[in-house]
Amino acid sequence: MSFARPRVFAGLQPRLLVVPRTTAVRSAILTHRLLSTSARALAQHAQGPATSTSHDGLSSAVGERSHRHGTAPEPKFDSYGRELNPYENGPTSIDKAVHLFFFTEILRGMWIVLENFFRPPYTIMYPFEKGPLSPRFRGEHALRRYPSGEERCIACKLCEAICPAQAITIESEARLDGSRKTTKYDIDMTKCIYCGFCQEACPVDAIVETQNQEFSTETREELLYNKEKLLANGDRAEAEIAANLHCT
Amino acid sequence: MVSLLRTVRSIRRVGVREWWRQMQYIGDAKSGTYMGKDQFGNRYFENTNQYEEIPGRHRWVDFAQHNYHASQVPPEWHSWLQHIRLNPPPQDPVMLNSSPPWQAPWVENLTGTRGAYRPYNTATRKISAWEPKTAARA
Repeated sequence: MSFARPRVFAGLQPRLLVVPRTTAVRSAILTHRLLSTSARALAQHAQGPATSTSHDGLSSAVGERSHRHGTAPEPKFDSYGRELNPYENGPTSIDKAVHLFFFTEILRGMWIVLENFFRPPYTIMYPFEKGPLSPRFRGEHALRRYPSGEERCIACKLCEAICPAQAITIESEARLDGSRKTTKYDIDMTKCIYCGFCQEACPVDAIVETQNQEFSTETREELLYNKEKLLANGDRAEAEIAANLHCT
Repeated sequence: MVSLLRTVRSIRRVGVREWWRQMQYIGDAKSGTYMGKDQFGNRYFENTNQYEEIPGRHRWVDFAQHNYHASQVPPEWHSWLQHIRLNPPPQDPVMLNSSPPWQAPWVENLTGTRGAYRPYNTATRKISAWEPKTAARA
């Protein structure tokens, strides 16, 4: 859809096309030019001075061109007497506004690119720098111990019951001193959705999710954690876990 | 990130040798206060000047190993590096008091090596194969 109005070219085309041959023709053309600026406009004048518009909707009235701000263009009527919309076939104002908006949008977008080119980037150079992490972040699991070194888990199986992914498997036995402890505490980390329900359900804070998130593995079987692995995780990160649970 | 002013300022503070090391590993000229060193030799720095480091990049680690990995940071320093705790572990009374004597040494993620974890069963088997007991022939 073009914004150039076709009327602009109406006065230029005949002048370019005319090739004067004889003096008679030349003088005739000169007289025509004195009458009007274009042959097409002359043809429209031939229809009669009363009609200011032609069949293709182009007007050639000089007064209309020079005094645009004056009176509104005359309304046109069809054969039934209904008023015709003179802008019906042209672009609507919404079309023009949309084109203007989307064209300048490119420039506005490129300006934002240019602005950010001169600003320091927000890139965090992992693993040398790391973004902030919540103390409640739910990462790799760990089984904790009491400060005496006794393992906390009492095999109540509440975590196994609440686990929505059913990733936890627990088997328990009574120890020789009569306390119930787990013989099997398996977490399938490929099933785990890290919802944190297990640490919420635990009555003795035994199973926790540490802030460690760098435990990716190369094989799938390394993610099938058993009790020894979970206890080892807790033994290594006990200071961090206890500091997170510490209330001032 | 790397601008001429920042590079010159950092070289004046840390020296050309340290700057070259930073460019080889971090890839940026950084300068800040030295906060400490962990048991593996990784050094930790901080620069809270908001005109020199944007927030989120103001704490960083310089790894001791060439083959660095994020899990080489021990958990005490990890919680400082990831902005969980305000003070570095040597100056954090909570972190110092909550370290039990039975705490195990930190091991980095050993996946892909021979030290990688392999799962095994910690309970006795419920089903065992039938082992026929035959009396010795006379």
